[in-house]
Order: sequence, then C-alpha cells, then structure tokens
Amino acid sequence: MNCRDINQAIVEGSASPLPPEAEEHLRTCARCRELVAALKLRAPADVPSPMVLREIEKGLVANLRPVRPIAPKRYIFVSMMAIFAVTAVLGLSRIGAFAIAAMTPLQMGAIFGALAISAGLLAYSLVNQMVPGSRYRVPLGRVPLVIMILLMVSVAVLFPFQEERSFWFSAWVCIRGGTPVAAFAAVPLWLVLRRGAILSPIMTGAATGLLAGLAGTTALEIHCPNLDAWHILASHLGVAVAAPWSVFLWGGSGNRKLILRP
Amino acid sequence: MRENREVGRACAELDRWMERYQQADPEAPAVLVSALSPALLRFFRSQSATPGQAEDLLQDTWLRIHRVRHTYRPGEPVLPWIYALARRVRVDGYLRGRRIDSHETAMEVLPKRTAEGEPQHALPVFEVLVAALPEARREVITMLKVGGPSLEEVARTTSSTAGALKQKAHRGYDRLRKLLRSYVAAVGGGQ
Repeated sequence: MNCRDINQAIVEGSASPLPPEAEEHLRTCARCRELVAALKLRAPADVPSPMVLREIEKGLVANLRPVRPIAPKRYIFVSMMAIFAVTAVLGLSRIGAFAIAAMTPLQMGAIFGALAISAGLLAYSLVNQMVPGSRYRVPLGRVPLVIMILLMVSVAVLFPFQEERSFWFSAWVCIRGGTPVAAFAAVPLWLVLRRGAILSPIMTGAATGLLAGLAGTTALEIHCPNLDAWHILASHLGVAVAAPWSVFLWGGSGNRKLILRP
Repeated sequence: MRENREVGRACAELDRWMERYQQADPEAPAVLVSALSPALLRFFRSQSATPGQAEDLLQDTWLRIHRVRHTYRPGEPVLPWIYALARRVRVDGYLRGRRIDSHETAMEVLPKRTAEGEPQHALPVFEVLVAALPEARREVITMLKVGGPSLEEVARTTSSTAGALKQKAHRGYDRLRKLLRSYVAAVGGGQ
C-alpha cells in the first residue's frame, strides 16, 4: 500500500476504520501517520443552542401543511421535450419548411439526431437541477459545453464550407427568424422549472437558454435551405449560443439583486 | 469514525421522517431538526463561519428546507438533498457579504490555534487543519468527514460525479500532508 492507497482508503471508508494493510503502511510512513492522526482529532463539537432549535421547530410546525412531492423525473423530462418539439413545430408553421428537400437523408438523420440528443441531454440535466442532491453522470457545467462541441462537429462534418456573397445578410435573416422561437420556448420551460428548487440560477439559466435556443435552431434547420456550414454555424447555432448567454447575463444580474436584497 | 457510522445508519430512518414531514406529521420537524442540526452546524463551522453565523445559516437552511420540501423525492437519500440546500444557503450567505474574503483564500501555512482551554495536541484538530485548504477541497473533505454522507452522496450534493470528487479529495489529502509536515517541523523547531 502507498500514500495514494491511503487517500483512497480514507475517501472510500471515511465512515469506517482503515483496513489492516493500511496500518502496515502507517507504521513506515510518517506523513500518512500524521494525516490519519490529524483526521481523528476534532475540536469540541459545536452544538446548536436548544433555544435556536426550539425556534426552528416552532417555525416549521406553525407553517406545516401537506405538500405533494415533485413529479417523477420522467414526467418532467417528457414535458420539457414536448415544449422543445411543440415550439419548434409552431415556429416552423410561421416560417415554413424548405430545407427538407435540400438535405440528403444522411444529413437530415444526423443533424436532427444530434439536435434531439442535445435537447434530451439538456432536459435530463435540467430535470436533475430541479431537485437538490440529484445524481449527475456528467459534471453540471460541462453539459452545455459538450453539447455545443457535438453540434459544431456535426455541422462541420455534414455540411460543405462554401463562400457566400450575402453571408451576413442571410445570417441575420435566420437569426431574426429563430430568436422568437427560442424566446417562445423559454417561457413554458421556465414555468416547469419553477416547480423545482433551483440552486444554481446561472447554470440552470444557461441550460434552459440553450434548450430554448435549440428549439430555434431546430426550426431553422427545417426551414432554411442554405446548407453552407459557415451559415449554419454562425446563424442557426448562433441562436442556440445567444440564448444561454442572455439568460446567463440575466441570471448574473439576478444574483447581484440577491446581494443587494436586505 | 464510529460516530459517522451511527449517523449513516440514522440517515436511513431520516428518509422516512422526511416523507412524514411532507405529509405534515407534526412530530417530523422536531425529529429532523434535532437529528440533522448538529451535523449541519458542524458543516457550517468547518466552512469558517463563526458560531453566530453558523446558527444564522442553520436557521436559513431550515427555512429553505421547509419552503422547498416538495422537491424531496420519497425513496431518495435525504442527506444529499439537505446538504445541497445547506451548501446553497452558505453561498448565499457569502454573497450577502457576511463573510470575509480572506476566509475563502487558501493559506500557505496552518493557522495558529487561539482558543483558550483547547486541548494541546501535537497536531492541529480537523477543523483547523481543513481551514488551510482551498474552498472546493475543504468542502469535499469536510462533508466526507464531518457530515457522514458517502462519496456518492457528497457527489450528489455538490452536483458532481464520484470520480471528480475522488480526485478533489486526493489532492486535498496530499496538500494536508504537506501542511502537516510543515506544521510538525515548525512545532518541533519551536519547542
């Protein structure tokens, strides 16, 4: 056993005695011996004053009434995916579907698959963020980053890079078409999120913004027949990128307000 | 360590009390408050809060627990749920400017013990020891040691994965070894 194994034993067995092999290592390693000994020492325990505890209990009992536990994860997940799909379709009904005829079946399957997987990952992450202490398979902050990389790589692989004369004009037209869809999706998503306890407003806001933005991106992918990869990256994915930033900034200002609140 | 094991066992029962709390059982608040408050207070104290601040944070935590008790899912472990809320309360307390910036920065040397009547050990007590760590590592090590939750539960509390958490804890313990060495050398040299 080495020092790293001792770390492992402490981390995994913090609530139980160290294994016998560890004791052997401790006899020869002064650094580990000091660490284990120091971890056993504890300052006299602070106990909350009985008055404070009574006050807390009184406050809780005074406002006690039955509550219905939050809906199961799958219901919330389905409702978020439904919001995503319905707003994309509603947006599409306004701007029209012209890209289907322009794309090959492979392009269609791959890009809509990537968008659906991204939306699913974000919805799953949001479902977990609504309940404190949920289990995370990917660290919270990495989900939006992983999704953006996945989408950018998909676009770069699936669509050709071309030169376009009116690049900025056509990009602006698409951004103008996709942004209202994203804004429209954000409202019902926010209403669903309100049922939970959001502990990280900025992270949750960014994930919500990205999911809403992806609804706009999906609508644009079905609408816009321009298959230039630069155009899709700048305008279609631009809608998805801009939405979380606006919520991120809004979340930041929300936190500043929190500081000012007495 | 034996104390932690007992806390762990008691937590299984706390899950059931939490469900009763959601159903407005008038006995549930008293049971939960008396069972969880000491560990929560220790958690806040280990995060450099003064006794007064720790009691304020404790009260804020229970208020928040009460407000969002519907978000606890019956059948899930209650400890990560509680600690995640406590952690947020602590962050909010910090944001309100109640805490001093220097508490949040890593120290290069262990702080000297100043409390009178504190037992004289050759090594610093756990709370003094972890105070020298950067905030993220201190939080992980404190929760693993003080609160009684398992590695998986601490991962849930901190919105992280067990793997990422293990890495943080390993780095924290490595740093503690270095700090302890310098502490022992300083104490040895001073005597």
